[in-house]
Amino acid sequence: MVSLAPDVLFHIGSVGITNAVLDTVLVDILLFSLTYFIYKHHALIPGFFQTIIELVIETFHGMTEQVAGERTKKIFPFVMSFFLFIVLANWTGLTPILTGMGIKEGHEILPLIRSASTDLNVTFALAVVSIVATHSMSIRTLGIKEYIGRFVSLNPLFLFIGLLELVLEFAKIISFSFRLFGNVFVGKVLLHSASALSLFLIPVPIMIYELFIGTVQAAIFAMLTMAFMAILTTSHKAEAH
Amino acid sequence: MELIEQFGVDPILIAAQIVNFLVILYILKRFLYKPLFKVFKERQDLIKESITKTDEARQALEKAQATEKELIKKAQSTATQILKDAKEQSVDIISAAEEATKKQTDKMISEAKEQISQETKRAEEQLNKHVAELSVALLKKSLDSVFTEEEQSKIVKKAVEKLKK
Repeated sequence: MVSLAPDVLFHIGSVGITNAVLDTVLVDILLFSLTYFIYKHHALIPGFFQTIIELVIETFHGMTEQVAGERTKKIFPFVMSFFLFIVLANWTGLTPILTGMGIKEGHEILPLIRSASTDLNVTFALAVVSIVATHSMSIRTLGIKEYIGRFVSLNPLFLFIGLLELVLEFAKIISFSFRLFGNVFVGKVLLHSASALSLFLIPVPIMIYELFIGTVQAAIFAMLTMAFMAILTTSHKAEAH
Repeated sequence: MELIEQFGVDPILIAAQIVNFLVILYILKRFLYKPLFKVFKERQDLIKESITKTDEARQALEKAQATEKELIKKAQSTATQILKDAKEQSVDIISAAEEATKKQTDKMISEAKEQISQETKRAEEQLNKHVAELSVALLKKSLDSVFTEEEQSKIVKKAVEKLKK
C-alpha cells in the first residue's frame, strides 16, 4: 500500500527527513552537476550533451517568447527551472535502482527515494513560489495601483469579479499543487500495483508511460506558470488594445 | 487537520522546499541560462557576421569576375591590334629588306661587271704585250740568218712601231 505522505526515514531535530526530501537533494545534486558541467564546458560549437540542453532551453525560451514577448527575460528562468526540477523529480522517482534501495523498519522496507512530486509539501511549495512570483512580477511590471485595480473596483460588478479573481488566485495554489501531486502519485500507485502482478511484463510499459507523464506534468506546471505570469504582467489597457 | 496529517504536510518542510527551489532558481539563472544565452548570442553574431562576410565575398567575386572579363576583352583587343601592327610592320620590313637587298645586289653586279671589264682589259693588254714580244722574238729568229744585226734592229724597230700602232 502506497501512503499519501512520504515515509520519514530519520529526524534532524524535530523535522522528519522523508524519502521525498532525499529525492529533492538528489534532484539538487543532478541540477548542480548539470549546471557545473555546462558552466565549465560550454562552447560555441556544442557537444552532444550541450546540444540536448540547448535544445530544451531554446524550445522553452521560444514558447515563452511567443506568449510573453518582451517580458520573456523575467518569466523564462521560472518556467525553465520549474520544468527541470519537476521533470528530474518525476524521473528519479521512477528509477528502479534508486527506488529499490531502502531501510528496513519493522516488517516494512521504506524506500530511500520517493519522487518529490508525490510529496504535497514539495508541490505546494512550488505552487506558492509560482503564484507569489507571478504576483510580485505583476506589481513590479504594472505598478501597485494597476495591480490592485485588477481586484478592487468602485463598480459593484467589477468588484465582485475582482474578489472572485482574488479567491481564484489562492485556488491556483491548491490546483497547482494537487494537479502535480495527484498525477504523479497515481502513476506511483499504478506502478506499485503493477509490480505486485508481474515483475517486468506489466511494470516496464507503465514505467515508460510514467516517464512520459512525468515530462508532460512538468511541462504543464511550467507552461501554466508562464501563462499566468504573462497574463498578470499585461495591463488592462494593453489587453483592451 | 486529519487530512493535512494524512498528506504529511509540514510547514517547515514547505518553507525548506521554497528556499531550496529559490536557491536552484538563482543558481540555474546565474550559471546555466546566462552562459548559454551568451553562447546563443555569440553564435547568432557569428552567423550574422559570416552571412555578411559571405555576401561581401560574393559581391567582391562578382566585381572581380566583371573586372576579369573587362581585362580579358581589353587584352584581346590589344592583342589583335598588336598582331595587326606586327603584320603591317613585317610587310614594311620585308619590302624594305627586299629593296635593300636589290640595291645591294645591283651594286654588287655593277661592281662585278666593272671588275670583269677591268680584268678583261688588263688581260687584253697583257696578251697584246705577250703577242708583241712573241712576234718580235719570232721576227728576230727569222731575220737572224738573212740580215745583219743593224738591219735586224731597224726592221724590229719598224715592226714594233707598227705593232704599237
